[in-house]
Amino acid sequence: MTAPVLTEPDVVLTARPSLAARLLRGVLPYVLALVLAFVVAGIVIAALGYDPIEAYRTIFTTSFRTGFGFTETLTKWVPLTLLALGFTIPLAVGRFNIGGEGQLLVGATAAAGVGIVYADLPSAVLLPLVIIAGVLAGVVWAGIAAFLMGRFHVNEILSTVLLNFVSFQVLDYAATEVWSDPAAGVAATRRVGEGAELPTIGGPPGVHAGLLLAALVALATIVVTRRTAAGFELRAAGTNPRAAGINGIRVERIAVIALIIGGALGGLAGALEVSGVHGRALEGMQSNFLLLGIIIGLIARGSALWVPVVAFGIAILEVGASSMQRTVGVPAEMVLIIEALILIFLLLSDVIAGRLARRVA
Amino acid sequence: MNEFATLAQLTVVAMVPYLLASLGTMLGGLAGVFSVSQEGVMLLGASVGFLISYSTGSTAVGILLAAAVGALFGFALGWATTVLRLDQFVVGLALFFAATGLAGLLFRVVIGQTGQTPLVDTLPRLEIPLLSDIPLLGTALFSHNVLVYFAALLTVGLWFFLYRTRAGLNLRSVGENPKAADSLGIPVKSIRLWTTAAGGALMGIAGAYLPLVYTGTFTEGIVGGRGWLAIALTFFGGWRPQYIAAGALFFATMDVVALRAEVSGIDIPSQVLLVVPYIATLIVMVFALRWARVPEFLGKNYDRESRTG
Repeated sequence: MTAPVLTEPDVVLTARPSLAARLLRGVLPYVLALVLAFVVAGIVIAALGYDPIEAYRTIFTTSFRTGFGFTETLTKWVPLTLLALGFTIPLAVGRFNIGGEGQLLVGATAAAGVGIVYADLPSAVLLPLVIIAGVLAGVVWAGIAAFLMGRFHVNEILSTVLLNFVSFQVLDYAATEVWSDPAAGVAATRRVGEGAELPTIGGPPGVHAGLLLAALVALATIVVTRRTAAGFELRAAGTNPRAAGINGIRVERIAVIALIIGGALGGLAGALEVSGVHGRALEGMQSNFLLLGIIIGLIARGSALWVPVVAFGIAILEVGASSMQRTVGVPAEMVLIIEALILIFLLLSDVIAGRLARRVA
Repeated sequence: MNEFATLAQLTVVAMVPYLLASLGTMLGGLAGVFSVSQEGVMLLGASVGFLISYSTGSTAVGILLAAAVGALFGFALGWATTVLRLDQFVVGLALFFAATGLAGLLFRVVIGQTGQTPLVDTLPRLEIPLLSDIPLLGTALFSHNVLVYFAALLTVGLWFFLYRTRAGLNLRSVGENPKAADSLGIPVKSIRLWTTAAGGALMGIAGAYLPLVYTGTFTEGIVGGRGWLAIALTFFGGWRPQYIAAGALFFATMDVVALRAEVSGIDIPSQVLLVVPYIATLIVMVFALRWARVPEFLGKNYDRESRTG
């Protein structure tokens, strides 16, 4: 389970592959995957009796036609990027964090709790407290799984997933027993104090300032993983754990730390959803961010550089999905299938591109 | 005493989805292919099983098609990991997403937006003559729907097949040491393909069980983590049918106890009761993993040409 997961199959072992080979390997799979996914999904949409061209036009234009659409896309980009990074950082050491949902929810619960209890504090004090509370909750949540993994070798896929189901009840308890807001309709906490809400930038309508924070985190992840000793150790521990261990890198410890950092990002995402979007913690706020985060991480092949880009693409699809359901009538679930198909075809195209590249090289 | 018989009966009913999904996981895993798409395949099985039963009026056809769709997803995992040698976890996750999306889409396309919940008849109880008249045990064990008996027979049958036949030994050798198996002429690839397909079929049936026995309808949260719990169950069942059955009993008991405690109005927040199965699983995993052994090649692809594998 510690073997590198995202190296492409049939890797050519020449020192410097030719440009053609590199292009084939780098670009071709993505082009193939996108084209195939949209063609296959288009056939399904047509078979269901809708117009695929119209459906796709709605998906791709919603984000850019109006300020609201673009705002919504950027707002979705924040948790998607954070959860995707929370997945890819442990993945670099060959560990699967499937607990982003739980980390987001406990982060949101903690953030909402602080925002409600200390509602009267001024923003300069309360806002940082709320965000820190969210991050810490995420750290604790992933920390449980990391501890079980490091100390008892409990498979982290299972522990992180099981903790998701526990987190639903943590949120539910806070939202129905502790800080409940009976007027909300669903299980939801009361609103946080005004000082806990993130300011809006740009607009109108504008995006919450958590966007900057998320962008900063994404940038920091890129710099740390690619340009520092810690990032080097992370990648070394992932690509060849045995060689890394021989060279004095403590692989197990790095895996534990990576999982905890993943949890911190999940918790941050939860805090930002509370103080930037909902103003409270509520049932269902995790949406399908977990699945999407993993899809983004895998499509980006675990690269911190590409995660924000892919996340933006997926955010466009997601925002377009609901508008497609409204105007064209195609069920929004279709978009999840498109996303899964992109991933599946990307994996398949890798094999094809690998074989072609070997022939060219 | 009557109360006890009812509880025992409910527990047996609750065992089945865990047992089937876990046996499916075990089957592929013993040949070395580790699936992580249970949760999605079960949801798809639930959706297909419900929709087909709803539109044809035949639960048998619903269950069979759920099994067929599950087998298709299982086969896809087997094919992508043996023929293309793609990473098992990544492919498993991708199939999980595809199945989840497809489950929701199918339901939306067939049923659409309706005010009232579409319902199907749940599976009838088949009382086994004579045996079901035994006091207590009769109610607990011999008065169930057909899938309960299927799961019980399957458990025994799989145990016999895996540990008492040559073919079963061959199967297990593929998960323990595919190179050695290959050199003895055992068809590694085809064994991995059929075990993942059969495993997927079991997961599909496990999913179809939920609407067809419990609720009579499909909801998006119907699987509720049972697929993931089935993976945990397979691990601490040591990848053996008999211990997996014992573990399924443990999960089912917790399900029933939590439900009962909630109904009886004991003064514990319902949220605490609802997390018990998940927390208990985590705790059990800490201890169980010490003795449970895992197939040596679990999760690893086999490449005949590789010198290290």
